Amino acid sequence: MKRLFLILIILLVVGTLSTVFTIDETEQVVILQFGQPVRIIKEPGLNFKLPAPIQVAQSFDKRLLEYDVPPEEILSKDKKSLIVDNYVRWKIIDPLLFLQTVQTEPIAKTRIDDIVYSELRRELGTHFMSEIITENREIIMETVTKQSAIATKPYGIEVVDVRLKRVDLPQNNEESIYRRMQAERIRQANKFRSEGEEESQKIKASTDKDKTIILANAYKEAEEIKGEGEAKAVDIYAKAFSKDPEFYEFYRSLEAYKKIIDKKTTLVLPSNSNLFETLNK
Amino acid sequence: MAAKRIIIGDSEISVPDKLLSMGVLPTIGIAIVIWLLLGLYSVGPDEVGVVQRFGKYNRVVGSGLNYHIPYPIETVKTPKVTEVKRIEIGFRTVGKNQYRTIEQESLMLTGDENIVDAELIVQYKIKDPIDYLFNFIGPELTLREASEASLRTVIGRHNIDEALTSGKLMIQEETKELLQIILDKYETGVIVVAVQLQDVSPPKQVIDAFKDVASAKEDKNRMINEAEGYRNDVIPKARGQAQAMIRESEGFRESRIKRAEGDVAKFKAIVKEYTKAKEVTKERLYLEAMEEILPGIDKYIVPNGEDGNLLNLLNLTGTKGAK
Repeated sequence: MKRLFLILIILLVVGTLSTVFTIDETEQVVILQFGQPVRIIKEPGLNFKLPAPIQVAQSFDKRLLEYDVPPEEILSKDKKSLIVDNYVRWKIIDPLLFLQTVQTEPIAKTRIDDIVYSELRRELGTHFMSEIITENREIIMETVTKQSAIATKPYGIEVVDVRLKRVDLPQNNEESIYRRMQAERIRQANKFRSEGEEESQKIKASTDKDKTIILANAYKEAEEIKGEGEAKAVDIYAKAFSKDPEFYEFYRSLEAYKKIIDKKTTLVLPSNSNLFETLNK
Repeated sequence: MAAKRIIIGDSEISVPDKLLSMGVLPTIGIAIVIWLLLGLYSVGPDEVGVVQRFGKYNRVVGSGLNYHIPYPIETVKTPKVTEVKRIEIGFRTVGKNQYRTIEQESLMLTGDENIVDAELIVQYKIKDPIDYLFNFIGPELTLREASEASLRTVIGRHNIDEALTSGKLMIQEETKELLQIILDKYETGVIVVAVQLQDVSPPKQVIDAFKDVASAKEDKNRMINEAEGYRNDVIPKARGQAQAMIRESEGFRESRIKRAEGDVAKFKAIVKEYTKAKEVTKERLYLEAMEEILPGIDKYIVPNGEDGNLLNLLNLTGTKGAK
């Protein structure tokens, strides 16, 4: 009798305990009554339900969940092959639907994989490679996210973000890019060297030109100055000599003789020259 | 000491008889005291305490010794909120000052479909501990993936020359901005403190070509400098030469004038004398000149009337030695 009472008490305690449960900030719970969902609780805190065999609490993560999609090869609109590595951030927004359709996270991830991959393939297929790589990447991925979110809704899943982690080119394309880069750089290097040559030639040529001009100007100026000197000298001579041109002629002739006749000169003088006037007498 | 063994589940505890003999009430009392003491916890200076009651967020407490109602009523989490965490993209620090590149992460496409090798450090810390604890899973992974995605997106917006040179700062800023937008979208409660673009270089397959461009640039500058040097050498010399020509001509001008003046002065002086006694002076001048000219030169004096035979004398100098 006493033993039966003890068992009853233990059962009562266990039963009471199983009616009390807590929900963490990170969880959401579906209450199942004989396997039939009766309640969804998203608010964290202390909660009550009917004891264990009757009602069972099944909890699901409420947080943002991750999924790293394995890299896939996808063709762009211009038929270029790209290796796309993306990741997904998702949430269980309707735990009941989630429970009814996919039940667990690993199964959910395979669904997400299927959906995101097909959306990505479809969307990237409508864009050129250059768009995917550059600016439009964000817009493209927004579309993929939106489309994927719609497609995963029936599973109680919201795809919050699909983001391209990496977009790479297959090995052989990569090599052709390297070749192109190399060619481009060689072109640039050649351009710099030719530009250097050009600039150098320009500077040297203009230098030579400037030099010639400087010297020509100097010649002009110098000749002008010389001419001025000449002119002045002529003027001075003319003014002085015009007073007695006859004497000047005589005087200047004598001066000229002094210069003209030097040691090499052989002079033949007639004896009746003015010089020997006295001699002849 | 006598003890009684109690089996609870899989574990076996031996309880001293003394304790048992104390009776049920004191035992429960001691148990309650111990349980209550379990609620003591300390929060480090770099941490905050986030207390949950029945799983629901209840309060945030600062550092120091604190108390919460013990498990299972309240629990506490103590994230480090002042700690700046770091994520490396494209490389890993493997030891002191030793790094290993991870090409898979560091090679990326630029907007003009070239490839660069970029390495990034992201520093972040917890801004909102509640969001950080309850909103998402895998902080490290999330940060890494979002950082990588941001960097690649931003590099994709720029062309290779920007990425390698002038655009680095801009890329850094844009990456930080985009990363923060993504993290806010995920409600991570994380703030990006800094994004540092470590090293952006051409891939090693083509680095030589890039280096050659740099040296070509040097060559260009060198050629220009040499030409400038030539110019700096030639032009001043030419100017000097020009000045020399002008000075020389000025000298010529002055000398010409002075000589003329000198000649004229001399002439005037002679004229002055000449006017005093015209014939005498003329004669004197003539003779003086002859005196000056004639000494030391070969002279032949021929008699009058032999003018016609002057031609015979023409060869005189040639036969002089034979005489």
